[in-house]
Amino acid sequence: MTAVVQAEGLTKYYGRRRGLEDLTLDIQPGEIFGYLGPNGAGKTTTIRLLLDVIRPTRGLVRVLGGDPRDPAIRSRIGYLPGELALEGRERAGEYLRFLGRIRGGVAASRIDELAERFEADLSVQMRKLSKGNKQKIGLIQAFMHEPEFLILDEPTGGLDPLVQQEFLALLREVRKSGRTVLMSSHVLAEVESVSDRVGIVRDGRLVAVEDVAALREKAVRRIELHFDAPVPAADFQGLPGVRDLRVEGAGVRCTIDGRPDALVKAAARHTVVHLVSAEPDLEEIFLTYYSEEEGHRDRQESA
Amino acid sequence: MIAKSLRDNRRALAWWSAGICAFLAVYMSVYGSVRENPETYSGIAMDKFPGPLKDLMGGFQDFQTGAGYLQSVVYQLFVPMLFIVCATLLANRIIAQPEESGTLELVVTLPVDRRRLVVERWAALVLSLLAVACVTLAVAWAVSVAVDMGVAFDRIAAAHTGVFLVALLFGTVALTVGAATGRKMLASAVVGVWVVTGYLVVTIGRSVDAIAWLKWLSPFHYYAEGRPLYDGLPVGDYLVLLAATAVLALTAVLAFDRRDVGV
Ligand SMILES: Nc1ncnc2c1ncn2[C@@H]1O[C@H](COP(=O)(O)OP(=O)(O)O)[C@@H](O)[C@H]1O
Ligand SMILES: [Mg+2]
Repeated sequence: MTAVVQAEGLTKYYGRRRGLEDLTLDIQPGEIFGYLGPNGAGKTTTIRLLLDVIRPTRGLVRVLGGDPRDPAIRSRIGYLPGELALEGRERAGEYLRFLGRIRGGVAASRIDELAERFEADLSVQMRKLSKGNKQKIGLIQAFMHEPEFLILDEPTGGLDPLVQQEFLALLREVRKSGRTVLMSSHVLAEVESVSDRVGIVRDGRLVAVEDVAALREKAVRRIELHFDAPVPAADFQGLPGVRDLRVEGAGVRCTIDGRPDALVKAAARHTVVHLVSAEPDLEEIFLTYYSEEEGHRDRQESA
Repeated sequence: MIAKSLRDNRRALAWWSAGICAFLAVYMSVYGSVRENPETYSGIAMDKFPGPLKDLMGGFQDFQTGAGYLQSVVYQLFVPMLFIVCATLLANRIIAQPEESGTLELVVTLPVDRRRLVVERWAALVLSLLAVACVTLAVAWAVSVAVDMGVAFDRIAAAHTGVFLVALLFGTVALTVGAATGRKMLASAVVGVWVVTGYLVVTIGRSVDAIAWLKWLSPFHYYAEGRPLYDGLPVGDYLVLLAATAVLALTAVLAFDRRDVGV
């Protein structure tokens, strides 16, 4: 199967300003790829290159096996711009129908269904839409023609939590139907629950690409267990993956590295009355992970 | 695309048509009293616009005849300028304005070739201006009959065609600058400078030998020099305007196809 995105040495300079430097990346069909980085890292630059809004200074980019300059390739993509501008007296619904026609026809029922899911009012003039409501219209137009490849630039910005949930549900449906998604964000927490892989860009360079499942396995979790009676510390000592163990009467605190299996089996020998497991902070490990990488590279370079 | 642009333009078109029609109706209906008191009016005109200013207004030759009045008051300056402003504003809506406001980004990612995008939106500009021209021509003709100007329809139509072509040319200038740079102000400025110098060259500059050759670069030279109100359609001159427009439109298409959008 050909990759949905193939970038090789992709580089973009705005005059002398660097936007993106030497990006090499493949995104496979059916994958949800989270593209992370702080503001100004080069996420939007990458996305605009993938859509032929801007042209590379150097390097190669292929999308869905072809050149994004080809309108036929673009017809298979759904795009939500990072700074979506919608204006004018035109009603949102009319604009969506116009976009649908240009993209080869979208059933009115499909637009209405999405509008209902996002609770978007399509009878409002576009210039009167609030930021959050514009974002909803943007999401509808990106999803409505059921494209093979969705490119979403910071899709959750400005959405309230309920709509965000609906959006994530929609993404899962997209994944289930085997379509591909590239979504950018500046916080991992926003994309980790749906992404298969995440890539981090910083200062125009892709510094790490990681599998989210693998990342989760590496995650350090704090766990607290409370039993109905004091437990012997020896039962919990030396368990694989368990660190920072503290046993105080009927309470056990520790952190675990990777799978909690051994700890759970040890605890099952006693009566557990309460269990607290803090969500693993992927962001934290991700950041440590790639700052280590950088430190490593720096050391190599100075050697 | 064409239909969409026309729909977006319809409000502006209605206002511009109404405005230009009102202008035509008011100025042309004054002709009745001008004809009855020729001395007073041409005297006032001569006093009000001495020397070079009179040149600027086209000279006010035979102010009392229908054709002369129409030429001086309607087709010399005001109506072409109104049309040019209208054309420039509409042309800016094609690329520069949506690019500056950010709405163009989504449009260029649609499955439409960029060249086709420019051509279709330019075609919508042609049709829009044509609509304004037809409506205002009908009104001009009706008023000229009502005040008994005695100018044949084909002569008014010939002059009106010239207005349309000049406006289309300047609109296409705005499009080309906008398509190449994405800057609305720059596009308007280029049109403004070209209009003003072009107009000065064919009026005041006519008698200055050093700059007389510049008239070949002035669209107004091809517009009024053939005296359409007197002699009918100046086919050659109008073809020059059309050809220049076509070259500019082609330049716009190629320039927009080559560059980054929204940077
Ligand atoms: N139109 C532009 N002109 C000049 N520099 C730009 C332009 N767009 C982006 N940049 C620069 O390119 C870098 C990457 O920007 P961008 O891709 O927008 O980052 P992100 O989307 O990750 O926030 C930034 O340093 C930014 O200043
Ligand atoms: Mg961005």
